[in-house]
Amino acid sequence: MSGTLLAQGLVLGILTGGLYALLASGLTLYFGVMKVVMVAHPAFLFLAAYATYALHTATGIDPLLTTVVTVPTFFALGVAVQRLLVARLAPESLATMSVLLTFALALLIEGGLGVVATGSYRSVTVDYASQALRLGSVALPADRLIAFGVAAVTLGGLFVVLRLTRFGRALRATISHATAARLVGIDTDRVTAIGFGIGLATAALGGAVLSLISPFFPAAHWAWIGRLMAVIVVGGLGSVQGAAVAALLLGVLEALLQVTWGATPAALLFYAFLFATLLVRPQGLFGGRLAQRF
Amino acid sequence: MGGGARRVALVLAGVLLVAGCAGTPEDPTAAGDGGGQAGGTAEPVAGGAGGDGGGASGDPIRIGISLPLSGDFSEPGVGVQQGYEVWAESVNRAGGLLGRPVELLFRDDASDPNRVVSDYESLITQEEVDLVFGPFSTRLVIPAAEVAESYDMLFVEPAGAAPEVFEQGFEYLFYAAPAVANDHYNYLADWILALPEDQRPQTAAYAAMDDPFAQGTAYGLKDRLEAGGIETVVDEVYPPDTTDFSAIGARVAAADADIVVGGTQFEDAVGLVRSFQELGYQPRLAAFSTGPTLPEFDEAVSGATEGILSPVGYAVGAEIEGNAEFAALHEELHGTPPTEDAANGYTVGQVVAAAVEAVGCAEQGEECQRALADHIRANEFQTVVGPLSFDEAGRPQSAHLIQQWQGGEVQIVLPEDSDAVTAEVQFPKAEW
Amino acid sequence: MAVSPSASSGTAAPGRLAGRAAFVAGGLLLAAYPWAAPNAYLRYAGVLVVLYAALSTAWNLVGGFTGYISLGHAAFFGLGAYATGILVVRTGLPHALALVLAVAGVTAFAAAVGVAAVRVRGSSFVIVSIALVSMTNLVAQNARWLTGGSSGLRVPPLVEGLSRTANHVVFFYLFLALLGLVLATWWAVDRSRFGAGLKAIREDEDKAESLGVPTTAYKVVAYAASAAFVAAAGGLYGIWFGSLDPIFVFSIVIGANMVLMALLGGMRFLLGPLLGAFLVAPASEYFLLAYGESQLHIVLSGALLAVVVLFLPDGIIPALRATWRRRGPRAASIQERSAAELAAAREEVPA
Repeated sequence: MSGTLLAQGLVLGILTGGLYALLASGLTLYFGVMKVVMVAHPAFLFLAAYATYALHTATGIDPLLTTVVTVPTFFALGVAVQRLLVARLAPESLATMSVLLTFALALLIEGGLGVVATGSYRSVTVDYASQALRLGSVALPADRLIAFGVAAVTLGGLFVVLRLTRFGRALRATISHATAARLVGIDTDRVTAIGFGIGLATAALGGAVLSLISPFFPAAHWAWIGRLMAVIVVGGLGSVQGAAVAALLLGVLEALLQVTWGATPAALLFYAFLFATLLVRPQGLFGGRLAQRF
Repeated sequence: MGGGARRVALVLAGVLLVAGCAGTPEDPTAAGDGGGQAGGTAEPVAGGAGGDGGGASGDPIRIGISLPLSGDFSEPGVGVQQGYEVWAESVNRAGGLLGRPVELLFRDDASDPNRVVSDYESLITQEEVDLVFGPFSTRLVIPAAEVAESYDMLFVEPAGAAPEVFEQGFEYLFYAAPAVANDHYNYLADWILALPEDQRPQTAAYAAMDDPFAQGTAYGLKDRLEAGGIETVVDEVYPPDTTDFSAIGARVAAADADIVVGGTQFEDAVGLVRSFQELGYQPRLAAFSTGPTLPEFDEAVSGATEGILSPVGYAVGAEIEGNAEFAALHEELHGTPPTEDAANGYTVGQVVAAAVEAVGCAEQGEECQRALADHIRANEFQTVVGPLSFDEAGRPQSAHLIQQWQGGEVQIVLPEDSDAVTAEVQFPKAEW
Repeated sequence: MAVSPSASSGTAAPGRLAGRAAFVAGGLLLAAYPWAAPNAYLRYAGVLVVLYAALSTAWNLVGGFTGYISLGHAAFFGLGAYATGILVVRTGLPHALALVLAVAGVTAFAAAVGVAAVRVRGSSFVIVSIALVSMTNLVAQNARWLTGGSSGLRVPPLVEGLSRTANHVVFFYLFLALLGLVLATWWAVDRSRFGAGLKAIREDEDKAESLGVPTTAYKVVAYAASAAFVAAAGGLYGIWFGSLDPIFVFSIVIGANMVLMALLGGMRFLLGPLLGAFLVAPASEYFLLAYGESQLHIVLSGALLAVVVLFLPDGIIPALRATWRRRGPRAASIQERSAAELAAAREEVPA
């Protein structure tokens, strides 16, 4: 095994890890604000990819610019999903019922996309996506760099909002203790709805990036569910930083395994880490004390 | 309080009754009029109960088909459906089959074998269709063929190309395409091994999806090339739901083999090509199964198609009898030129139609269906993919053409002595 | 928190008698089904319905009693099917023996997994269960030397030369027998100390633990028992269907169907999952027949699940009972209220 190949694997792993972090960040938010595992998140990613495709082919504007339209739309959609659907569930059984509800949403999106767009592959292609930057003998593919850049900007923005704004404080308070937050006068319902909106807005960004990287079809979301779930569990449910670190870690290990051993062990890696985390440290890398209770 | 029990019993009896009515009545003489959807009343067919013969306006010949219109295999599934539709339209315009119009009953199997079996069970025993056509994907063909086999139904199929399909002892199964998966690259293997020593590639890398068809094509070529002394430097197999090909591509690229072969379907072919492009890997020869034969491929790889080779069972421009009509009608009905999958569907129709016209029957029952199968086994058929004949197990006895992307167009390049050839092989391939 | 062990058994004696009579009558009617079904397809569909009823009731051994929702029971279904198939194909064991060994093996595996899985609750447990299916699928797909990988595994039929329709009838009764066995197990657990302990876990796990219920051991036993029955159904399925492919038996959709059926009928009731299966399985077959040319059937399945989760989270049995009660003066029975209902009632009272 040559050093160049390992270096190439490492670079690809870091870039892909960034993408995983972006795709998983929404999941972390839903769980944080409502203890909801949103199985439909990958389905929403592909809904966003289709939206990007439709806007790009209809108007010819750059796929990344379509997010000007899709991000606000998905934000509104997220608020609606929380207000009209998830909030109706009884709080005691929320943890499990929300999984089933969002599973149903995933089916609705997949079937709906199939009816409207048929099962054919779609892909968004732009000239710059297949270029690459070269550092010595190691290539940095442009589409991955874009994905990593979008992820870094999005996660950085999220971090700033969470740490430095009033809303961020309210959101963090709601995440750590909703009842107490309510007692100090935070409108937790509003905060929760906005948290959901932001979560889906990241799906709009993720979908746009995903559409640049690979062709997609309505049933493509299944392949992502297990992987993204593993990322948020390893990172610690509800922890945005934890998910980002876990995403990078798993992305790098996956790429290194792929270049040295093979694709199947690399795919199994996610589940191995998931189970190991639950056995050794159920709260994940950065999870709070009670993460495993939900 | 016994009323509770009676009520439950009544409800259950009612349910059973409804279920019973939903099916068609057991009337062996009713000639195929299944009464439409479940719940439809079975009207007695006035006068027209006699099976074959009949006037031009006779009962339609009803053909049951299950296809993956949703789920993982829906891309090619829809292509096959279009081919079947074009075939039915062309037959009906020409006055039908045995003077009867043909009618296709499609079911979506959602790429799920339970559904496939459900579909064929219901098409055969409930709808009582006269004939069935095969589904798509090797993984669905075997369970479906088992159903057809146990009801003595002829089963000509457009997709089950993997070796194990033909090792099950099926008597009614025929694969209506030029060759089975492992033979797809035969002409390319012949050509590579015939190159003069100083030009001949020395090393090859293989990346194949873990799928009996896709892997079969790549490994068929691998066996031939290894036997011819071309060294295998990478042999990579990835799971079907792999989405990221950058690292797999990196591994192949690092070996820098002269030849790269992808046992691919679609998104993996796109992923690998893009990954090689980004990594700057320039093989002298690149071959991918299936992906490059689909119309979306050019756009998906942003035109980086130059020089890519693929086995193809069908060429739109081939001067084969009936092909121009097929392509024109496909264009008229669906607005696009036919894909290979559509051609395979159409070919199924052509083979079955020829057998039906020759034998003179199209109805359920071992007598007619076995006569059809025997006819197919014993004869050669003129189809849009060329003349087809079959061995005992239903394997087709022709070979796939080899196509190459040249200047943004698909050209047929091998075998060199074929009428279908439109250009010479470009070798070594241009950079992508 | 009021824990009400075996509250559902609190009806008066004559009612119980009527219930039993209805149960026997229903069983007899079910047993007559293959002979009433007018064609082979409906016989085949009947097998699928009974198979799903057995799966869903088996799922409910853990889901209904403990409230732990597993979306991944398809893993045990697939393992049961593959273990049985592999033993028959590779070692030539008789089918029955292969099935028994397979079930034993899968049960042991489930117990081991259970020790890790039940350490986490709620949504984490759901995630683990989803991961289990994906993982078993990958392993089965990759272990080509053992499972045949993506080429699939062909299992020889139980009786050589039996016609397809006769085979459906045989397996209809085999699945029916399995269903009876699972129902009997659920019924016995429901009125046992063990069952009371499981229900205590469902209502408030921490409290149950502090009251001395060995929660981990109880959960693992329930999980393994549930997996054992699911594996048995999988093994029978493998022999019946004759053709196995990893991506289709280790399918998240099969697992989700078990949950949907149990939920629709009512997870707290013996016959809830069965009722759910009898509604969902024929309905999805119908959707496919009626709307099979488009992908509308996926939309309809999703819509059904959403409606159940949003509007019938306790299932249709309590909803039916409520209508029943409203229609006439009935003997007062002990009212069963779930913890969720109690809590909701409490929330309505201003603090």
